[in-house]
Amino acid sequence: MRGSPGTLAAGASLWAFLISAPALAAFDETPSLKAEVEAGKLPPVAKRLPAEPWGVMSHAKPTPAGRHGGKLNILMGRAKDVRQMVVYGYARLVGYDEKFNLVPDILESVDIKDGRQFTLNLRKGHRWSDGRPFTAEDFRYWWEDMAADPDISRLGPPAFMLVNGKPPKFEVIGETMVRYTWDAPHPKFLPLLAGARPEFIYRPAHYMKRFHAKHQDAAKLDGMVKAAKRRNWASLHFRYDRPYKNDNPDFPSLQPWVQTTKPPSKRFIFKRNPYFHRVDERGRQLPYMDEVILTVASSNLISTKAGTGDTDLQARGIALKNFPYLKKAEKRNDYIMRLWPTAKGAQMALYPNMNHSDPKWRKLFRDVRFRRALSLAIDRRQISKLIYFGLASPTGNSVLRESQVYRKEYAERWAKLDVKKANALLDEFGLEKAGAVRRLPDGRPLEITVETSGEELEQTDILRLVKDTWAKIGVKMLIKPSQREVLRNRVFAGSTQVAVWFGLENGIPTAETCPSALAPTSQQHLQWPKWGQYVETKGKAGEPVDMEGPRKLMELNEAWNVSTSKDEKAKIWHRMLDHFTDQVYTIGLVSRVPQPVVVNARLRNVPKKAIYNWEPGAHFGVYRPDTFWFAGN
Amino acid sequence: MSNGNRHFVSPEPFNPQQIEALTAEQEKYFLASQWKMMWWRLKRHRLAVASGIVLAVMYFSVLITEFLAPYELSARNEDFLHAPPQVIHFFHEGDFVGPFVYGLDQTLNLETLQREYSVNRDEVQPLRFFCSGDPYRFWGMVEADFHLVCPAENGTFFLLGTDRLGHDMWSRILYGARISLTVGLIGITLSFILGIVIGGLAGYFGGWVDNLVQRVIEILRSLPELPLWMALSAALPASWSPVLVYFGITLILALVDWPGLARAVRSKLLALREEDFATAATLMGAKPSRVIGRHLLPNFMSHLIASATLSIPTMILAETALSFLGLGLRPPITSWGVLLIEAQNIEAVVLFPWLMTPMVPVIIVVLAFNFLGDGLRDAADPYK
Repeated sequence: MRGSPGTLAAGASLWAFLISAPALAAFDETPSLKAEVEAGKLPPVAKRLPAEPWGVMSHAKPTPAGRHGGKLNILMGRAKDVRQMVVYGYARLVGYDEKFNLVPDILESVDIKDGRQFTLNLRKGHRWSDGRPFTAEDFRYWWEDMAADPDISRLGPPAFMLVNGKPPKFEVIGETMVRYTWDAPHPKFLPLLAGARPEFIYRPAHYMKRFHAKHQDAAKLDGMVKAAKRRNWASLHFRYDRPYKNDNPDFPSLQPWVQTTKPPSKRFIFKRNPYFHRVDERGRQLPYMDEVILTVASSNLISTKAGTGDTDLQARGIALKNFPYLKKAEKRNDYIMRLWPTAKGAQMALYPNMNHSDPKWRKLFRDVRFRRALSLAIDRRQISKLIYFGLASPTGNSVLRESQVYRKEYAERWAKLDVKKANALLDEFGLEKAGAVRRLPDGRPLEITVETSGEELEQTDILRLVKDTWAKIGVKMLIKPSQREVLRNRVFAGSTQVAVWFGLENGIPTAETCPSALAPTSQQHLQWPKWGQYVETKGKAGEPVDMEGPRKLMELNEAWNVSTSKDEKAKIWHRMLDHFTDQVYTIGLVSRVPQPVVVNARLRNVPKKAIYNWEPGAHFGVYRPDTFWFAGN
Repeated sequence: MSNGNRHFVSPEPFNPQQIEALTAEQEKYFLASQWKMMWWRLKRHRLAVASGIVLAVMYFSVLITEFLAPYELSARNEDFLHAPPQVIHFFHEGDFVGPFVYGLDQTLNLETLQREYSVNRDEVQPLRFFCSGDPYRFWGMVEADFHLVCPAENGTFFLLGTDRLGHDMWSRILYGARISLTVGLIGITLSFILGIVIGGLAGYFGGWVDNLVQRVIEILRSLPELPLWMALSAALPASWSPVLVYFGITLILALVDWPGLARAVRSKLLALREEDFATAATLMGAKPSRVIGRHLLPNFMSHLIASATLSIPTMILAETALSFLGLGLRPPITSWGVLLIEAQNIEAVVLFPWLMTPMVPVIIVVLAFNFLGDGLRDAADPYK
């Protein structure tokens, strides 16, 4: 990015491309908007676009450039999922490209100084979906009138804007330029803006001001609060402030498609944003498709409905086990099945609770030999073969080979079935074998209760396979399915022995990705919930880390946070991964389980093979669905 | 006047059978006990008898499940996931071989990700009877490996195909019967005892006892059941096995479920206690328990029997319904409900229809209980 190419690896490739962006002169008018433009209701395309729109290259090549028109049908499990269109739309201040480099998107550029000063340059002439200008005022409104307002943010500015507990200095430098300056580097700032669920540091000020006590006449505001039956103006403000939840059809947006249906509804219609800032290489304003129609269907019916051709682009709600059925109906219903690799560190992982409330179990789970033995006594090849048609990789919970910090040994360490070695480890540990099941030192049988959220049949199936191989090392597994919330609360309270959850969310990190998932930093890390809680609450709840290894991981995580050199960051990543995988804090089962994707046979530009991931990735988001288009009729 | 004072009573000895002589059969009928008459009546109800036999066989099979099932419950056939049912043949190329199946060949189609099976006509796998096969622990205690029927050595025998992990469906249905047919019985028995005792007391004594019972019933009826179940399924100890958890839930349900029957018993008793025979029994010094148990309850035995036989299939269906809500039994426990839940997807309908076979025993059992209950109800009032 401009000014400091060394700071963000992403800059170079995009910059070269931006220069080759289309000549500004010739923009084609979008056919479906022609009538409105001719009637004078809408300015012509050249006036709607920012002075320097962002050109998007198509991924799937060779392909003729796209054409406008068409409606995209998608299915979602809940009405709440209208937010998925903010995910798929993926218009971010900065966003990942399909190689997972950070590049400017809504912003024209970002200048970074010392990793602590961020100057954001907006595009001149960029407009909200209602045609009003998108300017520095929108950033100022969020920071001064929302983040710093005691009624809206009772606890002060949100945690993600703080570095060492201190907020940045905010400056408006011009109509299209704002600057945030912290005392220390804030490496997570840009990734947070680029997230699948991003942090929004701007708001449509012109729209939101009418709900704000500072900008609205008190009597009028009071009337609105009463009419909407809200407690106070802050709650009214919150009600209309829906950048992510996306359920307020009046809320101006920067996304390619704008929500137009007032909930509650079973069918939501998203119409094209006539002021969207991206164009294709021939000067056509994106998105290509006029509408996205989101239909709410019961989540266990999504695969059935996909098989009858009720969706044009679907991955959510479909699993690998649905593939044979979907493939069978492929020809009849004119869609194409694709299998995309997923990028979780592990499809499923076992989390031995090192904060278990029983000291005997706690001691056991904290012993690395025990965790290694459990991991060695899992036949991952068999799991892949029986459950995933042999398509999954038999690796532990680690990073994938697409990642910059991948090393083969991280993934394969302690992940190969070796009953003999596992038995030797347990013998060494002094767990006597009496009959088929080993005994704890106090004479109790070694029976481990593994609790699942009970949502996926698949998890129980896999656990049954693990149970059989664990029996060979004298460990008896009891499987207890419960509910997601119950499971979490039990883990947090230290009542669960081993929990089942997904592996690392981001299996394709770069050196620049924050490595906090490897260190005790969150209560949601089910192997050390109390330590994570302690860090999250700054010592108010939970327990301080009282174990050598995790403490080391925490120190490394801190070191990464303040580091500014890419090499050093990569080194820290490797040290953390090395320790994390060698200590087997989490027992990953298999990874790279393919995600089936249903794509309408006429839909173009959808990559044939691509990584399907939430963070980073935003599912389809990084592939820019605004560039997808329908061919023929 | 002497003639006028003559007695018109015959001096001959009294013969009660003078007018109608009872045949041996009639005598048997009039002297028979109530239970005996119910049995005769029931025997005339062909459908009920047949249903009774079916149920008896099913309940008997539960005792020897391990012996009947060709495969052990957790036995997985990893090379035969989602294998279709194998047909039993007797003749191979015109020659009589005895019961046998043809071998199955499997290939994984990597394009459709479907395991495709073809019948190998060259591979004859004769079934073995009274053979040793998968080892099991009979009733979880005695080690054994004796089976009624086993596949050929290195062969397979999937009468109803296999599921996604290669478990034999026929064996799973047999094992599932053990749980589905029994787990509800204790709950039903308990709710019956409670209903009869409490309803009996309320109906017989009336007054404040009745008032108290009625109010308690109203409170119990007003408890919402689903949230209660959800809370209970979370509250039961983690170390309990899922069967025990479900068992606990049925017990607790029984504790909540008795009011319906109690009310019926109460209203019936309120009417019956005013009858002369009840007063007579009381006057002769019978205790309330005897009056209720011996004199009043048998009068509406038919109603009791009907509701008992009808609530067993309700319990079996309830297990299916609750599993659907994620509250009942869940894998790895095998019950018919669980087997059906696993078949509740479009894949089972389109690609693996044999996964839906557990429906058949559920239908048979529910129907059989209904027919039997019908027959019993007719039989319970033999004097009508």
